Amino acid sequence: MKSTGKPEPTVTIDTSGYAVATEEIRSEAKRLLLEKIVDAVVGYQSGRRKGSAVPVIITDPAQAEQLVFSPACVNNLSIYLTKAKKEIRAKGKLAVVAKGCDLRALAGLMGESQFKREEVVIIGVTCAGVHSAGVQPNEPLTSATIAKKCRECSVHIPEGADLIVGKLPLLPDLTPTEKELLEKLDAMTPGERWEYWKEQFTRCIRCLACRQVCPFCYCEQCLCDRGRPQAVDTSPRPSGNMGWHIVRAMHLAGRCSGCAECERVCPMDIPLNLLNRKMAQELKELYQYEAGLTPQEKGPLTSYDEKDDQSFIK
Amino acid sequence: MKHDFEPKIVAFVCTWCTYAGADLAGTSRMLYPSNVRVVKFPCTGRIDPVFILKAFQKGADGILVSGCHPGDCHYMAGNFHARRRFAVFRKLLEFIGVDLNRLEFSWVSAAEGGKWVEIVTELTEKIRSMGPLTQFTDLNDEEQWSGALSNPELKAVYDQV
Amino acid sequence: MAKVITEENLRSLIDLLIKAGKRVIGPKRAGEMTIYEPLASGSELTPGTLPRRSAKEAFFPLSETILSFQKDRDGLKVDDVDTASFPETVLVGALPCDAAAPQVMDAVFSWDYKDEFYLERRRRTTIIGLSCTSADDSCFCTLVGLSPTDTKGSDLFLTPLAGGGYSCEAVTDRGEQLLAGYPELFTEAATVTPIPAAQPEGAPVDLAKVKVWLEEHFEDEIWEEVANRCVGCGACAFLCPACHCFDIVDEGTEQKGSRRKNWDACAFSKFTNHASGHNPRDVQNKRYRNRFMHKFKYYDDKFGKTLCTGCGRCIRYCPVGIDIKGILEEIGKKSLSTKDTKGHEANHHG
Repeated sequence: MKSTGKPEPTVTIDTSGYAVATEEIRSEAKRLLLEKIVDAVVGYQSGRRKGSAVPVIITDPAQAEQLVFSPACVNNLSIYLTKAKKEIRAKGKLAVVAKGCDLRALAGLMGESQFKREEVVIIGVTCAGVHSAGVQPNEPLTSATIAKKCRECSVHIPEGADLIVGKLPLLPDLTPTEKELLEKLDAMTPGERWEYWKEQFTRCIRCLACRQVCPFCYCEQCLCDRGRPQAVDTSPRPSGNMGWHIVRAMHLAGRCSGCAECERVCPMDIPLNLLNRKMAQELKELYQYEAGLTPQEKGPLTSYDEKDDQSFIK
Repeated sequence: MKHDFEPKIVAFVCTWCTYAGADLAGTSRMLYPSNVRVVKFPCTGRIDPVFILKAFQKGADGILVSGCHPGDCHYMAGNFHARRRFAVFRKLLEFIGVDLNRLEFSWVSAAEGGKWVEIVTELTEKIRSMGPLTQFTDLNDEEQWSGALSNPELKAVYDQV
Repeated sequence: MAKVITEENLRSLIDLLIKAGKRVIGPKRAGEMTIYEPLASGSELTPGTLPRRSAKEAFFPLSETILSFQKDRDGLKVDDVDTASFPETVLVGALPCDAAAPQVMDAVFSWDYKDEFYLERRRRTTIIGLSCTSADDSCFCTLVGLSPTDTKGSDLFLTPLAGGGYSCEAVTDRGEQLLAGYPELFTEAATVTPIPAAQPEGAPVDLAKVKVWLEEHFEDEIWEEVANRCVGCGACAFLCPACHCFDIVDEGTEQKGSRRKNWDACAFSKFTNHASGHNPRDVQNKRYRNRFMHKFKYYDDKFGKTLCTGCGRCIRYCPVGIDIKGILEEIGKKSLSTKDTKGHEANHHG
């Protein structure tokens, strides 16, 4: 489903600040490693494909020159900081390069005691946007190649990071395509929505990229991998897929930071972030909770208020 | 009275209040539809949304979740947590396209045998009028094209040509 | 003289095959992507672009029932799957990297155990391959001994022509029969001008030398370097035309259910998890090493074939940009300076 409005003219987004950011990331990473403030830096480096950027974990100050920031820096690197990544945490104290949306995930992880603020150095990057999934990495950043989440970004500047690099250009107004799609779904009847999701989920091949790339899916034992008792059928077919995606959305409700990595990595193009976003919207309405740039001690589903709404309970 | 359709209703209840309430209804010889299958939990806080999902997938036509009134939880706050969780889970199911009339929540105390009877009767009649829930169970028989042993949809196309 | 079929006649051929009761699988538009799926008519064929998932599904489904069971008053009834009911299939429009994969997988599915589910589907499937005319920077069939015009694995091979239509080459008897079965759809042409074949970047890699290098570098820092960032999903294996690992699970209720064979992936942490809790591949880079070793060493050790056709799907859809082409090139370079098995110094290329 696409936006029904008039096709917007393609606008180029100014990413000249990214070169500045790259320089500043390099010098900061080098300093942190040389002064032994951290033992490793999690950042991005160029890949073989022209213009591509891939996550990298460097430990040698000489490697700092490899670090980059570009529109191809799509990954949310906060996943490498969770307790599940034992081999990375074993390297010692870490620094991490984070865009605003990634910082939200870092804040969420701190709220869930995955690490303490003082254990991590956060190099925040001012970000005008990154590529959408499937875009050739060497393409320029435009309104046609920018990720959906970036069209509605409210955290271009990662306030609260230890250092903020890069500078923000003048940003064009972009139509909120995901918001529009959500509204369209909300306006459907339950039956129509069921058909929509059924079609989406049927495509799922259960590669679990959505789970593996999610900063908040750090459980050592996923409920959905369990055989006894088996909560969710593991076969990649309609019934188990439906179960898996409902459970995934529920387990992320009130925790998801909205980085939309799940949707980006889905090889079957399932709009998974719609589910997370819908849940976030409901949590805001019900309990005034929003994922933010600073850690919150309790999530909306790990706390309660005696006066919570119970109009749905007899 | 005979009906064409006897709905299968699963009730997930806490042991301290609603289970005792249902027990009271029984010992008081109150009558209520036998369509409901009660599953007992220590607390509504232990009722995972995945249980509801699983029940729907295995053929439940309606589901009731019931526990202690706010403030009466044996574990102090289990039902407060459950209240939030289910408020959100309802919204998720609604967004996926499940009719929320099939999912009921209630507070029934150990003294409210009458309320239990009322809620179960009402829910049973409501679900009966709605008919069986097939959206989840239909999926059980569906396959990806490559795993389908026979493909009725394609067969229809073949029959046409 | 070359046999030629027009675009229109190719679509008619599909219609006729369907009419003859065959299941025709081909690239089909599904939203923003193409997928190999059963076609309801020739008009659905969307040839030319590499479908998102590989064609292995035609022989090795994502998830398939291998037996079903039912329990009632009379006891337990177990039903085997009747492999004779598998449909006669024509896979049309498979690009060389997809068409070549089944003949690689045949070895493992007919090795110590004959997997009738796979083999019966193979026996009942005719493959119409299609020469490839566009490559991107993830394509690398030429690095692993194939090419955009390779007919390996195809029964009939189509080459798109500059003026439209395709020239047809029967590669096997089966392909010959297909040509003979529908003579009215094919014409003869004295000369044909094919659309130039795709040209993936990169020089061929000496896979024999790579294998020797791998033999000697089971422990090597390269694995950490390239795969520490691996997040452990199965996207690479599930999109791969040659990955063939599966898991067997029982699903259903006490009364009724089925035993199923589902795709599995060596990147999953549970893949080698023992019942004791011990996991010999305890960290992610060891799992990735296994994937690479299986493709370029173990499979060759056992069956004399490389388990990779260079389609590049795992590169395009890896969440963290793990790049098997780059790794292969790097190891290819490293392997030039290692000694081969006979102890001779390998040739150095500038």
